[in-house]
Amino acid sequence: MEPDAQQALLDAIQQADRAGARAVIEAWAETHPFERVVPDLLSPTLETFGRLWAHRKLGFSLATGYVAAKVAEDVLARLLEEAGARGEARAPLKGPVVLGNVEDDFHPLGRKMVGAFLRADGWDVQDLGVDVTPARFIEAAEACGARVIGASAMMYTTAKNAARLREAMEQRGLAGRVQLALGGAVFKLRPELVATFGGDGTAPSALEAPALFAELWQRASILAGEVEP
Amino acid sequence: MSAPAAPFRCLACAIFRREIEALRASGCLDLPVEYLPSMLHMVPERLDARLEAAMAATRKEVAGAPLVLAYGDCCGHMTDYETQPGTGRTQGINCCEIVLGSEVYRRLRREGAFFLMPEWALEWRKVFVGQLGLLGPCAREFMQELHTRVVYLDTGVLPVPHATLAEAGDFLGLPVEVLPVSLDPLLASLQQAIHAAGARDAG
Repeated sequence: MEPDAQQALLDAIQQADRAGARAVIEAWAETHPFERVVPDLLSPTLETFGRLWAHRKLGFSLATGYVAAKVAEDVLARLLEEAGARGEARAPLKGPVVLGNVEDDFHPLGRKMVGAFLRADGWDVQDLGVDVTPARFIEAAEACGARVIGASAMMYTTAKNAARLREAMEQRGLAGRVQLALGGAVFKLRPELVATFGGDGTAPSALEAPALFAELWQRASILAGEVEP
Repeated sequence: MSAPAAPFRCLACAIFRREIEALRASGCLDLPVEYLPSMLHMVPERLDARLEAAMAATRKEVAGAPLVLAYGDCCGHMTDYETQPGTGRTQGINCCEIVLGSEVYRRLRREGAFFLMPEWALEWRKVFVGQLGLLGPCAREFMQELHTRVVYLDTGVLPVPHATLAEAGDFLGLPVEVLPVSLDPLLASLQQAIHAAGARDAG
């Protein structure tokens, strides 16, 4: 456990100070092997951050969530760089999965944060961007063999397009074999809409997306008959 | 549609205050309006609660009054409110789509525009620093990753605040474009909401 370093990293994130967070991580890495940074420093700090952020504690804003995601990206980039320097390919361990904002939705922040936390957790993420039609989601999922599609919508009006995605998945025979994760502000405010619009699951925040995607991946694998329930 | 017994009332986001008052002053709109703070947009749960309470209070004050909501789809239960009997809402995802019309809004969003209505342009620090928490270098990085430019929607109700916009653009690290917009789409949207409220009232 590294309580001082964790607190310093948390403080930097709370100040939306990405450079400060990088400095904390670099100082920690002077006395620790960098490959331990995720389990020993980043993950416990982000777990604390996630709890405080979920409860909207003072000083934990949208910007701090963005910086937390950027810190995760920075750590991942350095891990990849160091693996490359050692001549090792650090291929993603999980996935692939597909992410995108549903058709007519132009609010990318939450989706980008989910992508950053998934990648930091070892997932291969195919990010399709904003305003993604059901056909594009399905085409991408089939092309890469994704078992989970993550679709984001901010408002009720655009969230209804998640139902169109679900319908297209059913028509294509993908239901079950490909799980649909739904996220975004309206689903956080009204979790009951996840089922209404055909979602298989949701997470209360981007930080909890890796656990959700692992659960949905497992479910898809069971339904595909590849693993025992 | 039969004429409703009680006069129409309107609950509006204060983001539209100057624009709606200009329409009222010009005689294009004959509608008493109560405005709720536009910053409620940043906390949808609070907007939900305030709007629900304001709707109840208005209906208690003027029984049977058809109610027009001048709002985008800005909180979790907006669709529940707008489908209540005697209620109509301006159609649009948010205030910018209502003011611009759907086609222009979508084209500009696809181009990466971040919109500023006049009210929020004057209070840009409160929005970006106070509400979103964008501090220091984070502000530029955040905005540049998500957007290509700031588009100020010049509805003609205020002189364009060029100095303020330049300051905001510098802070956010984005170029600022001033886009003159007519009040016609807002008026049309309000008239459509009045019609919907009257139709639902007639049952």
